[in-house]
Amino acid sequence: MPGEMAHHPQQRQFNPYSENGGTILAIAGRDFAVIAGDTRQTEGYSIQTRYAPKVFTLTDKAVLAVNGFAADGNMFVKKVKQRLEWYRHAHAKDMPLRAIARLIQTMLYAQRFFPYYVYNILGGIEDDGTGAVYSFDPVGSYEREACRAAGAASSLVQPFLDNQIYFKNQKAAPGSAHPTHLPLSTVIALVTDSFTSATERHIEVGDGLEMYIVLASGSSGQGLEGVKGLRELSTKGEAERVFVIRRDLKKD
Amino acid sequence: MECSFALTGNGYVLVASDTTAARSIVKMKTDEDKTKVLGPHLVMTYSGEPGDTVQFAEFVERNLRLHQIRHHQALRPQSAASWIRRALADSLRSRSPYAVNLLVGGFDTSVAAIREETEAVGGEPKLYWIDYLGTMAEVPFAAHGYGSYFALSLLDRYHNPQASLDEGIATLRRCIDEVSKRLIVAPSNYKVRVVDKDGVREVEL
Amino acid sequence: MSIMEINGGSVIAMVGKECVAIACDLRLGNQALTIATNFEKIFPVTDRLYLGLPGLATDVATLRERFRFRVNMYTIKEEREITPETFARLVSSTLYEKRFGPYFVEPVIAGLSPVPSASGKPEKWEPFIAATDLIGCLNFAKDFVVAGTSSDKLFGVAEGLWEPDLEWEDLFETISQTLMNAVDRDAFSGWGGIVHIITPDKVITRTLKARMD
Repeated sequence: MPGEMAHHPQQRQFNPYSENGGTILAIAGRDFAVIAGDTRQTEGYSIQTRYAPKVFTLTDKAVLAVNGFAADGNMFVKKVKQRLEWYRHAHAKDMPLRAIARLIQTMLYAQRFFPYYVYNILGGIEDDGTGAVYSFDPVGSYEREACRAAGAASSLVQPFLDNQIYFKNQKAAPGSAHPTHLPLSTVIALVTDSFTSATERHIEVGDGLEMYIVLASGSSGQGLEGVKGLRELSTKGEAERVFVIRRDLKKD
Repeated sequence: MECSFALTGNGYVLVASDTTAARSIVKMKTDEDKTKVLGPHLVMTYSGEPGDTVQFAEFVERNLRLHQIRHHQALRPQSAASWIRRALADSLRSRSPYAVNLLVGGFDTSVAAIREETEAVGGEPKLYWIDYLGTMAEVPFAAHGYGSYFALSLLDRYHNPQASLDEGIATLRRCIDEVSKRLIVAPSNYKVRVVDKDGVREVEL
Repeated sequence: MSIMEINGGSVIAMVGKECVAIACDLRLGNQALTIATNFEKIFPVTDRLYLGLPGLATDVATLRERFRFRVNMYTIKEEREITPETFARLVSSTLYEKRFGPYFVEPVIAGLSPVPSASGKPEKWEPFIAATDLIGCLNFAKDFVVAGTSSDKLFGVAEGLWEPDLEWEDLFETISQTLMNAVDRDAFSGWGGIVHIITPDKVITRTLKARMD
């Protein structure tokens, strides 16, 4: 009888988050910064697209890599860019890198109880002309570092970077010390190796590699000559120069 | 809550176990001996599920005694510990596993254990940490229960494998005092035993 | 809490030029609490064959005992040493026997396998490594195999550092750096390590002085 139908309690839930794979990485040099990310975007075992950029130029000397939930990432970059444009209109100059880092913290923490599900890595040139990398957690904890990997394959890449950038578990030859800053050519090689390694062992990493290079004003750019897939983004008049290297990664 | 500690020193192993028998929030008894002398140079503390503990300890005691009767020879500490471990590991995948945690302290007086550095003390102290899963580790010091969170860091700092018995007892005292000071559910009394070349005997703190 | 992560620990094996290396960390923990820092997870099977067993420590010990027994029985019956290939199958079938109530270990096998020659006595040895999951699914890799709580980190570093045909001295550096840098990013592994390098005429065993945190 219809009147005696048992009423089971029902529950509905909407999950506002997803995880879209990929990995990002940034390394700071003495007078440059390299910020890189792969271009594969996944959901579960499916590839949504083989080209979804995760690395964005913010100003002439700041580049932001965003990884995690792609929709939140894109929205977040859009909002950061908007705030930077307002800053330009108000102050007639670009926001300094350390200020962008603090801005990102406040913007992330503003969403403390409904966070942007993204890991951010900001790279670029500081006002004093040094290369810098700032890494953030989803709610805005941040620190300035020499290098950082984030995203799906961060657990594969970070220990490799500890070894090759910070020289962890390595002893310098007697009478010498480990270099505090690596030359650009070495950094580019390490970033390339990190991503080919991650592509080899992680299913959510691959398809393409975008590597942004920001050179401080006066930097020679030694190490860039003859690099395959290199393109300059900056126009001649600017002090800092921005390049991008686009490479293919394995698509399987 | 149940706590047991053990540490090795120069020619001895010290084992200590609390003496509380508790049901829920009630202390039923404060002089329960939760150590067992398993052989001339072997002693064990046991804790865990009430009922299982005594049952398993007696099972081990009788089996090691049986071995001694059959072979006119007690098992060496390492062999005894391995046998106990295997008994627990097999029990884990049986219909009713024993939930018992052990510290097995022994003094190896066999010819093989007498080396240049152990000759003076007449053998080699051995200590094994064993949990209810059948996990076993040979260690310089060990602890079970909530006390382990306090005692292990103290022992990291103060344990000395070459310490005399008095120094060893002083270190054990530190562990017990720290647990009494910082652990809300600290036990009030301990039974302490030492095993060395002369056998197993009780120590008053 | 995963059963495989109760005690922690990691193992890695790598192929070199006429040599193989196998390495493990030394931690034994009970969840976050470190119980022992001398817990080796690699055991000799024959003179040129080693077995690494990361995972649940009780099963590590039980399986070590079982494999010792079964290899001894094989040696007595066949009147010859077991080869790495055969041993890998033995490991696989021993684990699959317990398909629906498994031993919680991920074995790693490393050794040199004899290349048959006219004289009957092996003059050449070929590197052999393999790994299985907890129910014995074999993976015969040509480069390196990893297992344990820091397997993802080991994969990342090894993929970056390893190259083919390393001499044993270089293989030692490669496997040691891979192990140490991987376990330093893992809370459940570390507290020192041990490396065995198996060459045709000797096995070199070295303990690694590493970070103790």
